[in-house]
Amino acid sequence: MDMLSLSHVSKSFGTKKVIDDLSFNVSEHKIYGFIGQNGSGKTTTMKMILGLFSADKGEITVNGEMVKYGQNKTNRFIGYLPDVPEFYGYMTPMEYLTLCGNITGMDLSRVKNAAGELLELVGLDKENKRILGFSRGMKQRLGIAQALLNSPKLLICDEPTSALDPIGRKEILDILLSVKDKTTVIFSTHVLSDVERICDEIGLLNNGKLALHGTKEEIRAMRKSDGFEVELSRPEDVDILAEKLLGGQRLGRTQIFYQGKSEEEMMKSMRILLENNLKIQRIEMREPTLETLFMEVVGK
Amino acid sequence: MKQLIAFTKKEFTEGYRTGKFLILIIVFVVFGIMNPAVAKLTPWMMNLLSDTLKEAGMTVANIEVNAMTSWEQFVKNLPMGMIVFMIMFGGIMTAEYQKGTLINILTKGLSRWKVVAAKSILTVSFWTLCYWMCFFITYIYNEYFWDNKIVSNLFLSAFCLYLFGIWLISLIIFASSFMNSNSSVLLFTGGTFFVVYLCSLVPSISEYLPTRLLSSNEMLQGAINGSDMIISILITMLITITAFAFSVVIFNKKQI
Repeated sequence: MDMLSLSHVSKSFGTKKVIDDLSFNVSEHKIYGFIGQNGSGKTTTMKMILGLFSADKGEITVNGEMVKYGQNKTNRFIGYLPDVPEFYGYMTPMEYLTLCGNITGMDLSRVKNAAGELLELVGLDKENKRILGFSRGMKQRLGIAQALLNSPKLLICDEPTSALDPIGRKEILDILLSVKDKTTVIFSTHVLSDVERICDEIGLLNNGKLALHGTKEEIRAMRKSDGFEVELSRPEDVDILAEKLLGGQRLGRTQIFYQGKSEEEMMKSMRILLENNLKIQRIEMREPTLETLFMEVVGK
Repeated sequence: MKQLIAFTKKEFTEGYRTGKFLILIIVFVVFGIMNPAVAKLTPWMMNLLSDTLKEAGMTVANIEVNAMTSWEQFVKNLPMGMIVFMIMFGGIMTAEYQKGTLINILTKGLSRWKVVAAKSILTVSFWTLCYWMCFFITYIYNEYFWDNKIVSNLFLSAFCLYLFGIWLISLIIFASSFMNSNSSVLLFTGGTFFVVYLCSLVPSISEYLPTRLLSSNEMLQGAINGSDMIISILITMLITITAFAFSVVIFNKKQI
């Protein structure tokens, strides 16, 4: 079943069209990676799903129910982690989660249990001080805890890892992976390695449209090889190789990169290396990454 | 109901922990004590200055102070307290928009009208507390030093000033439902007051405007009585309720 579906959604701010006829579905228990540059409309889309922004055109449904702007009843299915989650600094994490629990209508004993468990999950169970003194990473983790408090069917995370250091990022991704069995996750980012690590499905937003959409495997299959790179011991050897095999691009004194070249061409280069007795340090096909695909689609 | 109680409780915690309550209580207690104190000290100060004044050619007659002097001080000082109060609470909604703290709460399913309601409840109840505390401190001192009975319409004039404060609060909440910054909310509230004040200079309509509630001195002296105030009291109440109601309607459609 589709947990979330957008059909022909458009949104403009003034004369600027931010989202243009956007349609996609996310099925249950999937982690959906929502990729796009800064300003591509990721946050706007998420805020429309949450009923915080109105859509000019189109329909959004969450768990089969229509999203309404303003008083959004479907928010009871959703847990939301904003890009920069902000809390009441004068509260402790426990007090904050209790407030959230009371607002979602959970009874007190359930709130206390769930809050305790979640604080443990995000590693804040020992923090009894007020939120005011929290680091960015701690706030992000508390943000996940509050988003998961009412066991949402859909967890929406807006760039949860963008501002974090590698350790903080790994922690957040691990938490997202660990909740996958219980909930569907949509997570926006411009950090492509994060997407490669945890997402099942990917949508790439560009100019308000979905430029790419599919499972990770489908998208990986679409990508062709990126070319190959050769590193030699002596700079003069590189000159010889560049002369014999055209189309290379010097990366450094001893490195040369053949963009978009196939494996056969790599074999050809190896023959040239052998024939001319050039000393190799390294030769490799470049693994195609989401990044190159991203660049291709975005056109830069 | 549970949501409303939880969010109102949060508002009170905020006022308490951020020190807002403490500051306002101190300000209003100080005002409450200052009114009779200034009245009490006036003759003494005049005596002290009388020599200097004599040299300047002025003679100081025996100055008589009584409860009226103290209540006049109250009427004079209160707008100051009101301004402090409005500045402290001017950002009650906008601070949340700017920090983005409401997003979490609203996406948790809190009905929007409850945000407006909780914030209005907090502000009105705190105004009630501060105002009447200040009033009764002055009242008790006056009773101790002099006699409160010599002033007319004491509670009526006090109520009018109190209601005027509630009107200003409703303007703040109303402005916050469509404005995003603290300063624009205060500017709107101040601007509305100024416009109403200008209108009140036209004698034929001044009777119907909220600014009429500020004619405390006339009430205390008995020049205006309760029956003369009914229209402006009713109109102010009506505007206040309308402003609160519209705040809910507009806030429901606000992009956050």
